[in-house]
Amino acid sequence: MRWLLCAWLAGLALPAQALDHDNLDPNRPIGMEDAYAIPKGEIGLEGGVRFNDRRQGRTNVTFQPQIIYGAFANTQIEIQGDLFTDPHSLVGANKSGDLHLGLLYNFNTETLTLPAMAVRVEADLPTGVNSKGVDTQVTGILTRSFGRLRVHLNGGYTVLGSPQGQERSGTYRAVAAVSYPLGYPGSFRDTLIASLYTRQSDLQGQRNHTGVEIGLRHQLTSRVVLDGGLGTEFLGPAERAALLGTIGVSLGF
Amino acid sequence: MRPAWTILRSIAIVATATVAVALAACSQFEPRDKRFYYRALWNFSLREDLAELDSEFNGVDFGHSNLYENLLLTGGQDVSAIEDRTRQETLAFIATKPRLNPNEEAIAPTYMKLAWRAQNTFDEAHALHRATYDIAVSDEPDKDRAIQNVLAYYKESAYAITSKQLDHRRLDAFPYSKAFRQRFPLFNATIWSYHYLQVAVYDPLLAARDLAAKTHAVRPILATYRRYLDQPPVEWTFMPLTAELSPQFAARYPEVAHIFDNLHMLHDNISDILASERLPTWEAKRAEIYRVVNTYYLATADATNPMIVRKDGEHHH
Repeated sequence: MRWLLCAWLAGLALPAQALDHDNLDPNRPIGMEDAYAIPKGEIGLEGGVRFNDRRQGRTNVTFQPQIIYGAFANTQIEIQGDLFTDPHSLVGANKSGDLHLGLLYNFNTETLTLPAMAVRVEADLPTGVNSKGVDTQVTGILTRSFGRLRVHLNGGYTVLGSPQGQERSGTYRAVAAVSYPLGYPGSFRDTLIASLYTRQSDLQGQRNHTGVEIGLRHQLTSRVVLDGGLGTEFLGPAERAALLGTIGVSLGF
Repeated sequence: MRPAWTILRSIAIVATATVAVALAACSQFEPRDKRFYYRALWNFSLREDLAELDSEFNGVDFGHSNLYENLLLTGGQDVSAIEDRTRQETLAFIATKPRLNPNEEAIAPTYMKLAWRAQNTFDEAHALHRATYDIAVSDEPDKDRAIQNVLAYYKESAYAITSKQLDHRRLDAFPYSKAFRQRFPLFNATIWSYHYLQVAVYDPLLAARDLAAKTHAVRPILATYRRYLDQPPVEWTFMPLTAELSPQFAARYPEVAHIFDNLHMLHDNISDILASERLPTWEAKRAEIYRVVNTYYLATADATNPMIVRKDGEHHH
């Protein structure tokens, strides 16, 4: 079995290494992240399925393949391409099949007086269904720990390159989240994450989407992390989410 | 043009705000600088093929971090908190035979914020430890080349400990030295027992021809180690040295052996700093840890490091 794995890894030219389930990335499993990049040189393959059961309209399912690479010190680059089951009904920046490029730069590690700080810049190239213009996003991220509890703040702004119809030309997003390692001191395999978020609606004249999410990341093996999450939006437009759910897996090489 | 201008403006605002906050507290502004392990097909050979030994090393990781966190939080003065509670927590974790190494930032969140640079120095050296075990256990045909490769990768790091032989007696003669072992002899002997295990297995692992022989070869060492955990060797007066316990490994890979001995000495120094009342504040402890790491341990200080032994001759415990 080990030789099969080795052969597969050799074929990819990406021999295996450990993954850190406590390093939080967007959508794995909920829409928040911490201020830390993956280690320099690490490669992560991530994938997930997310469903959005809306209060009005059809349930949407999203497939979220992603590659993350610790390209430089304290810097990770990301390539992602979400695929939706109902691509023609989408509004906003993230269209089905768009090529998403991202870069996260971590300025510092947390110390006794300073939180960890990072900035993320992203671009969605219009390769997807009904997509026009290059959409861009910038996000500031803070992580501060209190004992084992870590608090994360994300604040971002997205600019649509070519808004269509009633789409806003820009939208903001704010997330407050906490993460906590479960099982201490006997086990270190699970991290619980919860968030409260609000984001401007994609269409003008509608209320913010405001909701909560909760998720779990579980270190299955040295190389594999599983994740799952649930959420709901309690304020927002009529088609806001009644139930959000995500399951995913991350492989570190 | 408008979207592009808006993007640039947004980036500038976020970047300026972030940098401004950072500069306001620049005395504690330090990079994280995590680096991935050396990538090879033998990665995780120890975990996959000799889990009995790997799980003990996972327990050792817990022990160091748990000690530092509790020394820091108790001011290094509470004997019962360290010798009884903290030590028992560590032994309990070791007894669980953990299959994965623990998240040390969850074990020692305060210490990590106090002295991240020192922790990153440990992490890099521990990765070298792990890599050399993996190579020793694996069926890698050219172990010499593999070890030289991981050593070269290690030395590329700005956090690499010097591969020169250091004068450990002088490094154990600072005004606060021995504070930890004098106040907490049981836990100190437990730490030295970890270091015994970490260096004693090299010669048997490299001498054994196949996995069955390797498994058999480390069993007596594991038995001795577990006996030390039950009855810590408080009679020891100095930490175990690689050349004493794995002389063939030390002779074949002297730079690696020096790095491990220096790493273990640095562990002792930091235990002393955290336990000593001569450094009464967290800021004073942090400053001394960083001074010792930067001046005496990092390879970047080799040109000026007064602790480098200029001729052969090591002390024995």
